[in-house]
Amino acid sequence: MTKVKPTGGAEAPVLECIGVERRFGGLVAVTGVDLAIQRGEIFGLVGPNGSGKTTLTNAITGFYPPNVGRIKLDGKDITGTAPHKVAGMGVARTFQNLALFNGMSVLDNILLGRHIHMNPGIVRTALYWWLARPQEIANREVVEEVIDFLQLESIRHELVDGIPIGLKKRVELARALVAEPHLLILDEPMAGMNQEEKEYMARFILDARAERGVSVLLIEHHMDVITGICDKVLALNYGEMIATGNPQDVIKDPRVIEAYIGGSHGE
Amino acid sequence: MFYRLSGVRHNSYASDSKMFNIPADRNATVFFLLLGLAAPFVIPSLYLNSYVLPWLIWTAAALGLNLVTGWAGQLHLGYAAVMAVGAYSAVHAAKFGVPWEFALLIGGLASSVIGSLFAFTALRVKGLYLALTTLAMQFVMDWVLTHSPAIAGGSHASLQAPTFALLGQKITSDAGLYYVAFGWCVLVTIFMLNLKRTGLGRALVAVREKDFAAAILGVNSFYYKVVAFAASAFIAGITGALLVATFYFLAAPEQFTVSVSIQVLAMVIIGGLGSIIGSYFGAALILLMPGVVNQIFGWLANMLGLELGIETFAHIPNAAYGALIIIFLMVEPLGLGKLYANIRDYLMIWPFDQLKK
Repeated sequence: MTKVKPTGGAEAPVLECIGVERRFGGLVAVTGVDLAIQRGEIFGLVGPNGSGKTTLTNAITGFYPPNVGRIKLDGKDITGTAPHKVAGMGVARTFQNLALFNGMSVLDNILLGRHIHMNPGIVRTALYWWLARPQEIANREVVEEVIDFLQLESIRHELVDGIPIGLKKRVELARALVAEPHLLILDEPMAGMNQEEKEYMARFILDARAERGVSVLLIEHHMDVITGICDKVLALNYGEMIATGNPQDVIKDPRVIEAYIGGSHGE
Repeated sequence: MFYRLSGVRHNSYASDSKMFNIPADRNATVFFLLLGLAAPFVIPSLYLNSYVLPWLIWTAAALGLNLVTGWAGQLHLGYAAVMAVGAYSAVHAAKFGVPWEFALLIGGLASSVIGSLFAFTALRVKGLYLALTTLAMQFVMDWVLTHSPAIAGGSHASLQAPTFALLGQKITSDAGLYYVAFGWCVLVTIFMLNLKRTGLGRALVAVREKDFAAAILGVNSFYYKVVAFAASAFIAGITGALLVATFYFLAAPEQFTVSVSIQVLAMVIIGGLGSIIGSYFGAALILLMPGVVNQIFGWLANMLGLELGIETFAHIPNAAYGALIIIFLMVEPLGLGKLYANIRDYLMIWPFDQLKK
């Protein structure tokens, strides 16, 4: 398997945040965040609960546009763009608390990931045999490739409501991957998983990068995963950057340790 | 036993995405389609045109409402108003000399335009507030119909529909009118079946279930809600026009009041939100059950030699009918469509239930 090397500064970063700040009333959820994700990089975002990791992803994907600062995707300014347009520009994400569509099969959920490539409409639906079927089948082929990649074959026709949480996380990853994004944002993809499931997921993320060339912004609390697969890490605390750089250094940073497990205050 | 899955192996995506990918389902559908075609030769024309024909037309109406309420998840209490727009536009167009084919199209498009214009304003609010806004639309339409003689001829007036004709052939026979209703119902059903297996249907369900998750997949939820309102209004408009052309023969404001809106909504909810066959069941229950219950009570009273007063006799069937709706919804809150699906799923592999995962 060939490893995609981060390109460094040769071309515009896939994602660039410049001085991003987001407030909710008087609460400053994120402030002064600068980050740059290079192509092919797996970028870790860590920090204790409430430190603004999810708010930052929401700022990037357009749910809560930043009050201050710019966000650039592939060098293009996307600050304040609506979420459905951000998706069209090649950003896919998963959610911390799972956002699958209940009542639909695993297959239909993943097919929805192809929405930006399909442009469905009324006429296309009415004239299914001529206008929709070729498109549906072409997209089904892409979806089946990812189903194969993430080993979801046996549950593709099951309702998504009934499958275990580890698989749900995997279905959500599949749904994000079929969109063929440049940037994949994974919000705690391993929360609530056991060691084996975590290893599977880590392997899938590495493979997705290697085979599909996606860049990944990974929010995670498991430090073994962060040090194991991330190229770079940014640590947040109370909405501010406290450390950034290579994972080994960041997790040894005294401020990171203090933020996570509390420092000895006597020092 | 009745729905054998064994031996059903799809080896292409085309065959897996067939409208009915289980042969037993397809065969059953073909059987009912043939039954529908043969109905005029089997069922006495009195029953055909006073029960079966309205049932098919109201099923088409319920399917249209199901699109917006069941699929896109938007509660709509002004559906009869949208039907009225279609009915009056089509009848006026036909009176003006436009051939009925085009008059129907004009009715559908007029409904579609008004329905989506309305959606543009109504969709700024959600949930119960949207329901109330659509209810307001219903009352505005009621008022317009009773207060503008140019459209409806004023209150208590009615508008005679010109004789229905297709391709220049006047259709007056009972069987002919029945086939028109049957054809329309089949067309709407085919559209809904296609909706179930295309990106549009999936996008609508996504908007219904979790609009933030839909957004990050690139689904513009406002746009798809408007699309749902427009498509549903188009179906409503043509259905309203056909209701007048083949069943009422004249258009009157009382045919499209708020109680009609509630009735269609009841058909959809009792049938099952998002269920196509459920809309058939729901329309049948709401439309035909009062008559059936009445008959049963009349027959029972006769059998038991009961001397029921006119007053009691008028009210007991209503109460029984109401109780029936409650019982059905208590047994299966997801509607008759779900009840059917449960039985079907049970029989799918019966008697080898141990194979069930």
